[in-house]
Amino acid sequence: MSDAAKEAFDALKETVGRVTVDDPKMQAQNVDVFYGDKQAIYDVTLDVAKNEVVAMIGPSGCGKSTFLRCLNRMNDTIPSCKVTGDITLEGESLYSKDMDPVLLRARVGMVFQKPNPFAKSIYDNVAYGPKIHGLANNRAELDDIVESSLQRAGLFDEVKDRLTAPGTSLSGGQQQRLCIARTIAVSPEVILMDEPCSALDPIATARIEELIDELRENYAIAIVTHSMQQAARVSQRTAYFHLGKLVEVGETKRIFTNPSHELTENYITGRFG
Amino acid sequence: MDKLHLDQHISQQFNQELEDIRNRVLAMGGLVEQQVSNGLIALLENDGDLAEQVSKADYEVNAMEVEIDEECIQVLARRAPTASDLRLIVAVIKAITDLERIGDEAEKLGRFAAELSSSNQILEYRKELRHLGGLVRSMLQDSLDCFARLDAEAALKIAQRDDDVNAEYENLTRLLTTHLVEDPRRVTEILKITWCARALERIGDHSVNICEYVVYLVKGRDIRHTNIAADNHKNTSPKNDPNLT
Repeated sequence: MSDAAKEAFDALKETVGRVTVDDPKMQAQNVDVFYGDKQAIYDVTLDVAKNEVVAMIGPSGCGKSTFLRCLNRMNDTIPSCKVTGDITLEGESLYSKDMDPVLLRARVGMVFQKPNPFAKSIYDNVAYGPKIHGLANNRAELDDIVESSLQRAGLFDEVKDRLTAPGTSLSGGQQQRLCIARTIAVSPEVILMDEPCSALDPIATARIEELIDELRENYAIAIVTHSMQQAARVSQRTAYFHLGKLVEVGETKRIFTNPSHELTENYITGRFG
Repeated sequence: MDKLHLDQHISQQFNQELEDIRNRVLAMGGLVEQQVSNGLIALLENDGDLAEQVSKADYEVNAMEVEIDEECIQVLARRAPTASDLRLIVAVIKAITDLERIGDEAEKLGRFAAELSSSNQILEYRKELRHLGGLVRSMLQDSLDCFARLDAEAALKIAQRDDDVNAEYENLTRLLTTHLVEDPRRVTEILKITWCARALERIGDHSVNICEYVVYLVKGRDIRHTNIAADNHKNTSPKNDPNLT
């Protein structure tokens, strides 16, 4: 980091811009995350609004994925990881004893960087979640859920004649849309996406981005991306993370034309910082 | 443009491209300033040769506009600039359009100067034209200067000087109208002098536009079609704006 950037980072006591929203779906308050003795996230407060895409950007190791994973307790799987502060979904605390992480992950779904379909048929990939959560009473209902999920993920027309084919037989972009269909099959309230397009070509990426925009009508979406242009295209708000701190949050249209913090400016313009 | 830290991109080539665009804009500004200056001298000194020269040199200004536009398009397409880089490219694209128009006005000055060089009519209005020309020339010079130095505060002050230009232009128009009524035989010459005054007044307007782009570039605020005087008083930096969203 340059001296000026280091000075600006050290001087950062609180996030620049408004971290709260009027109509929050999820609220993270004063979240610290530690891996063993090492602190990965410092005092992050951020809301995710309903019907909004919030993009999290920042250099590698800035804590954006770590923070995203806190939002559906994916970090529980890492024994050395400790999360403090409070994260709520519709006012319910995620880390309270009453919260069942399995049910939580049905309410807060996640799409990963690499498409990871189960070694099952296309149909079963989507039907798996509704089955284990008992969302369908009979085969016809399950068929409906599978079809509508594939429809909403923009994949149905491409796979309707081969629903019994393995999910892994699809192209990368189709596999990722299958994973999105699988996520929305359990009717989540929030969808978390961790670099969902980084393994895809520009056409598949454009499809997923279009899909993200459509999904926003029904879900709250938080997306981590390394592509600044993608953040600019798909999100309404952008959060910039740097070395574990949330530096700046703001409307995407402002962040990309007139960011307030020097570190945000340095990052999005590709300057040393 | 040191305040924009144009030389601090990780991509050296991008640094070079932006630096090159910046240098070309400054060069184009210099050429346009020279054109206005020469056009004015030609008009005031009845210098037909210089007037011809101004008229002919306008193609250089036009060519520079096209070249800089092309470079800006390349940067937009290949670098997808953001934040201050984006504002720089947008400000440059807009500023060079105004510079090119100023070049056109200078060319008009040259053309009318050449046509009026055989007439003594201009002598009667030399004092007023000199005054108006002086105001406009210094406005243009200062607006280009604040573009080079990225001085948004100065830009706001310079833009306000357009009121003086407009007042002087109206004075001169009144004189010319009266003259026209009193001596209709001189209508062709009087009209040409009026068009010269009009060209100078327009250069003032384009200089205001350049000042507005400087404010946009430096502060990220669009002050076009607003009350610049009021804006100058407010003059809050976006970084201190409590309404940050």
